[in-house]
This record gives sequence, C-alpha cells and structure tokens, in this order.
Amino acid sequence: MDSCLGVEQDLDKATSKFNALNDHTNKVLEDIITQVEDLRKEISKQPPNSPLTQTQAMVLSDLAANVKQTVFQMSTEHRELHATVSRVGKSIDRHFIVDYASVAPKAESFCSDTNRPIMEQAIAQHLYREGLEEVGDVFVEEAGVGAVERTCAFAALQRCAAALAAGDPAPALHWAQRRSHQLLHSPLPFALHTVHTLKLAREQGVGAAIEYAREQFPAHAARHEKQLAATVCALAWLTPGAGPPPAHYHRLLDQRALGAEAAELFLREACALLRLAPLSPLAGAVMAGARVIPALHDIRAKMTHQHVAAAWADDELPLEVELGAEGGGYHSVFACPILRQQASDANPPMRLLCGHVISRDALHKLAMGVKLKCPYCPMEQSPSEARQIYFS
Amino acid sequence: MNEIKSLEHATLKVPYEVFNKKYRNAQRILDVEARQVGSAAGDLDTSARKSGVTTGEIDSLLGGMVEKLTTMKRKASEAINEEVQAAYVCKKRLEHLKEQAEALQDPTSAQTSLNHWRKVRLDRMLVDYFLRNGYYDSANKLADAKNLRELTNVDIYQAAAEVERELAARRTARCLHLQWCADNKSKLRKLGSTMEFNIRIQEFIELVREDKRLEAVRYAKKHFSTYEKEQLEDIQHCMGMLAFPKDTEVEPYRSLLAGGRWRALVAQFRAEHARLLHPARLPALPAALQLGLAALNTPQCAGGSAQAAGCPACCAPLSALARTLPHAHCSHSRLVCRISHEPLNEHNQPMALPNGQVYGEKALKEMMKEHGSIICPKTKEVFCMKRVEKVYVM
Repeated sequence: MDSCLGVEQDLDKATSKFNALNDHTNKVLEDIITQVEDLRKEISKQPPNSPLTQTQAMVLSDLAANVKQTVFQMSTEHRELHATVSRVGKSIDRHFIVDYASVAPKAESFCSDTNRPIMEQAIAQHLYREGLEEVGDVFVEEAGVGAVERTCAFAALQRCAAALAAGDPAPALHWAQRRSHQLLHSPLPFALHTVHTLKLAREQGVGAAIEYAREQFPAHAARHEKQLAATVCALAWLTPGAGPPPAHYHRLLDQRALGAEAAELFLREACALLRLAPLSPLAGAVMAGARVIPALHDIRAKMTHQHVAAAWADDELPLEVELGAEGGGYHSVFACPILRQQASDANPPMRLLCGHVISRDALHKLAMGVKLKCPYCPMEQSPSEARQIYFS
Repeated sequence: MNEIKSLEHATLKVPYEVFNKKYRNAQRILDVEARQVGSAAGDLDTSARKSGVTTGEIDSLLGGMVEKLTTMKRKASEAINEEVQAAYVCKKRLEHLKEQAEALQDPTSAQTSLNHWRKVRLDRMLVDYFLRNGYYDSANKLADAKNLRELTNVDIYQAAAEVERELAARRTARCLHLQWCADNKSKLRKLGSTMEFNIRIQEFIELVREDKRLEAVRYAKKHFSTYEKEQLEDIQHCMGMLAFPKDTEVEPYRSLLAGGRWRALVAQFRAEHARLLHPARLPALPAALQLGLAALNTPQCAGGSAQAAGCPACCAPLSALARTLPHAHCSHSRLVCRISHEPLNEHNQPMALPNGQVYGEKALKEMMKEHGSIICPKTKEVFCMKRVEKVYVM
C-alpha cells in the first residue's frame, strides 16, 4: 500500500502541475494574441501606404520583445517540469522492485526453444479452460502451439460462473437442478435461488420475487433459516421509493458483489463434485509463484553473506512459503519433526511402535543399541520394531 | 514486501516511459513553436526600426504573428493534453493496484475480490507475455475479452506491431522502422543499439538484390560514412557484395542475401523495443510460473505413480518443466489424504494400513461402510479395520 501511495503522491503532483501549466499557457497566449490583434486593428485604421510614426515603431518593438520573451518563457517553464516528471519515474523505481525476475534464475530457460512450446501449451490449455475459445484459437495459430484439447468440462462451468457473476443465475441454476440429488448438503442451490430472487425483484418487481421465493425456499428453510429471512427482508429495500438499506443488508443488495460471491461458491462446489481443480495448472502455478516472489525478495534483501548464495543452486527453494488454502496441498509432505527435513527414499518415514512418526536417519541417531525411547512419549522400544510407512 | 511491490514495477514503469516520451515530445514542439514565433517577432522588430516602412507591411507582419501564435497555442495545448493523458494511464493502473493493496492490508475483506484481482493479474501477465513475444492478435483479443485495454500495454505496442508487420513482410517502403529508430534515437544510442545500422544494411542489400548497384553505392555513401569502429567489417562485406552476382554461393555474401536476415531484424526489433520500455528482461509470467512450480514441486511429482490430480507440477504439460526445478523447502509436515484429497489432521487422523500405506481415517471409514473391508488403493491388498493403526505426525 505504501508503495502505491508513494508513487501516487508524485504522480498527482506531476498531473496537477501539467494541468496548471496547460491553463497558464492558454491564458498567456490568449492575452498576447489579443494584444497583437488590438495593435493590428489600431494600425490598420491608417491607410496602408502611410509611414510608421516614431511612437508606433517603439510600441511595435516593445511588443516584439514582449512576445519573444513570453514564448521563450513558456518553453522554459515546460522544461522546468522535467524534474517533476523524472521524479515519478524514480519514485516507481524506488517503491517497486525492478529486477523481479532475478530471484527466478531458471525462468529464462522457460523461454528457450525446448521449453517455450511446453509453457505455451499450458497457456493455450488455460485459455480454453477459462472458456476463452476465441482467444485460444488466435493464440494457437499465432504461437504455433501443438495439439491442445479444445473442449473441457471446466469451460462449461466457467461459462455458468461468468454469467452468474454478470448477474444471470439461469445457467448455473440449470446446472444445479440437474445435479440436485448430489447437492443435497451443499449451500449452492440456496445461494443461487437467492441471487435469482433478488434479480426478479429488480427486474419484475417484488411480487414476482416473492412468488419465486415461495416456490423454492421452503425446501431450504431448515438449513438456511437465517439467510432465508435476510433475503426475504432484503426485498423490502427493492420496492420503488424505499430508503437506504441498513448496513448489514448491503451484501445482499450489492448485485455485483453477491454475483461474484455466488460465482465463486458455484465454481468451488461444482469442482468438488466433478473432481476438478478449481484453478488451471497455469493459474495455480502462477498464483503460487506470485506468493513466492515477495518472500524471495525479502530474503534476498537480507542475504548479504557469500555462503548463502549457494542456497540458490541447491535442489530446494531456500525457504518455506505458505501458499494459502488454495495453493499447494496437492501432495502429502512429510518432514521429520526431529531433523526438520523432508523425507526422501533414502530417509523414509518410520512409524514407531507407539505410533509416532520420525525419519529413519533420526531413528538411527536416537537409537541406543537395541533400545529406543520415543521422543514424544515415555514408551521404550527396540528400533527394529519401527516400520516404514508410505504417505504417497 | 508484498505481491504488488514485487511484481508490478513494469505495470507502472511502462506507461511512465510513455509519459516521459510525451513530455520530451511536448518540449520539442514548444521549442520549435517558440523559435518560430520568436523569429516572427524578430522580423517585426527589424521592420519597425527600418525607416520608411508602411503600415500595410506592418499589418501583414502582425497578421503573420497572430497566425503563428494561434498555431502555437493549439499545438501547445494538444501536446500538454497528451502528457496529461499519459499521466492518467499511470494513475488508472495505480488505482487498480491500490484496490489489491487495500484488500491485502485489511484481513476482514472478502476473499472473493482478492481472488478476482488475482485472476485479472493472470490475464494481465498473459497479455504482457503475448505482447513481448509478438503474439499481437492474441494480446488484443484477450485484452478485449477481459476489458483490460487500459491496464495492459496493448495500445502502447500498437505501433511496434505495425513496424514488425512491415519488417516481416520485407517492406521498407513506408520506413516505419527508420522512423521508429529516429524517434528513439538518443535512447537507442545509450543502449548501444545496432538496429538502425542493420536496417540500413538491409536496405543496401535490397538495392543490390534489385540490381540497382549504382544506387546502392549512393546509398552507402550517404549512410555508411558515419560508421562506428566495429561496424567496419560489415560495411566491407556489403561493399564486397557489389562485385558478386545476387545468386552467389560465396560466403558471407550468400547469407547476407538470404531471407533469414529479415527474420533476424524482426527479432532484433522486438528485443530492442522491449528493452526501451521494460526495465526487466523477462516478462513476469515465466518468472512467476517458474517459482510457482518450484514451490509446488515435491519429490513425488516426478515419480509417476504418486501424481496428484490438479497439481500443476504433476500434470502435463507443465510437469516437464517442473522436473528441472528445485523442490519446495519444507520443514513442517503437511499431509493430505490420497483418497479424499482432504488434509490430514486431528479431525481426520492419518491411519497406516499393515502394508505401511497411510490414508485418512474418514476415507477409510467410508470405505468400510461401502465394502465392509479396506482395499488399499495402491496395492489392492485387502485388510480389516482392526489392523489399521493410528499414526502420530508432529
């Protein structure tokens, strides 16, 4: 936020200066044009062949000098804005990171002749998945991408969600109705009916909305009692001439936000039902990457020691990044609680007799001959009783 | 640090470069116009001092001056308006970034809007990637489909697209590329660009190809006389070419006359144009993609049998890229049930089958209900629930 505000300040200053300069230039030039024209009128009162008087000549030289000075002054004034302009550029450089890609040393290899087609295939896949067939077709043509599946189950869902976000719940409702038996425990049908009810109230009047609500809501009354009441109440503020609604109805009455929320719920539920990932591989990876970059910039800022540089070349990222609820979580990752290291084939997880899991290296380190004390509970056992387990 | 500070430098810097260019352009216009008016004023001054000058002459001089001043007023106002417009583009993008910055700072804000913003960011990255790789139609289509013209550089790249189209069509008639070189002369020189020189050579080659050799010599006289030291060899090759027929097999003249030179020019133009606008050499997309894949990459991803549905590092085609990348660093266990894909924790205990395979308690119970016994999805061995043991992972 600070970075945005810092740049905004400088940018606003520049804009206001340019606007002021524009007004000023216009005004000054306007003035000088009137001056010249006035003088011209005065001189043209005399017959064209009469000679110039001494005073007139003097006035004219004065005017010429004045004009000259004014216009050069103007270009100087504009030149003086250079500092303001370049301050915006410097401000951007200072507040944002210029060489963001330097923490991704292998990104370059993604643009090589062997890897680029792979990446572009993923892009095409993403475009088709998002239901952007037209863009995808142009891209496949332009970039010469090889065979990509053009239709996919997700694109249909995406279209429903897009319509929902744009305020039309009909396709999503249709989809949900066909699968109503699988959605018995899902909040989705009720959310869709809510959007539809409020839409009806807006377009066909509250009467139609109440009729629809009567038809649809009873089936959901048991599970969504509170929301149901809120939705019906919200109808009161959709009658023509109603006053401003109280704050806790804003969510329901904000058509766009409600649509976007419902669209997200729809995608989540539908993906869970059809066992699809809610994000395309490209989107999932990019979203995770966008979270990694700031963290890497952070440690790069802290790393001044030479020996840390080796961390970049290693076979692991140098730090752990929380990818949030939607990123990551595709695989089980077992990290030995003793060694704080990810398990591998050479150092697999072992289940002790008491049920606690540590890695084999840790087990060997903790074992004293044929005796082993579990580091987490008082149980004593033999190391040979530990058993290898598999998380994947 | 946050995602905006780390990733959005170019989003602002590119329109700033345009703003800066407009500023310099406006300065030039103002200087030229001021000089024009100044010289008119000078004329008026000398005439006024001359003895025997008539009012008629003065009248026409004054008329000329008014005309010049009016032109200056019009041009100055146009130029400054353009500057303000360019600054407005920056402002617009800043507003978009602020939206996200506010949402990031406020933990109570709805996840929905953040997710939407991230989707828009991906689209912006894609448009940027398309533009920088010369996929102009794709970029335009995507920007229009998602209403992103103002937040992306499609309009800024319009001119470049035209130059490239001309170079690709092997036409030099409209000289768009030379004009582009002239427009950015000082910056290109600062970067040590050989763009203009290479284009001149190409034009010379085209003259030879058309057998207008005398004209080629004239062209060389005009344009090659101010060469830099390291360009001498290229010029010598060019002049040597005059002695050979255009279908010669002798190197280096054969490759100079080959069509591949045009493609190289297109590539060079694209690279230099991007260098003028973008401080970073790579678009954001591959960088984010690489780090994202590395962060999602686990040793299992490359294994084949343990692939997880939806994991970007497992699915084709990106899995091929992930294989070359480092793995995510991990010091805390993070377990997911391979059957239900739900996380394993105190609400869904990890359970080990007698063969050592670990799954979630919930999924195993479900399986018990359905089949009356547990079939390991991996090895297809059958067990009863009694032999399943709890696993404690710290």
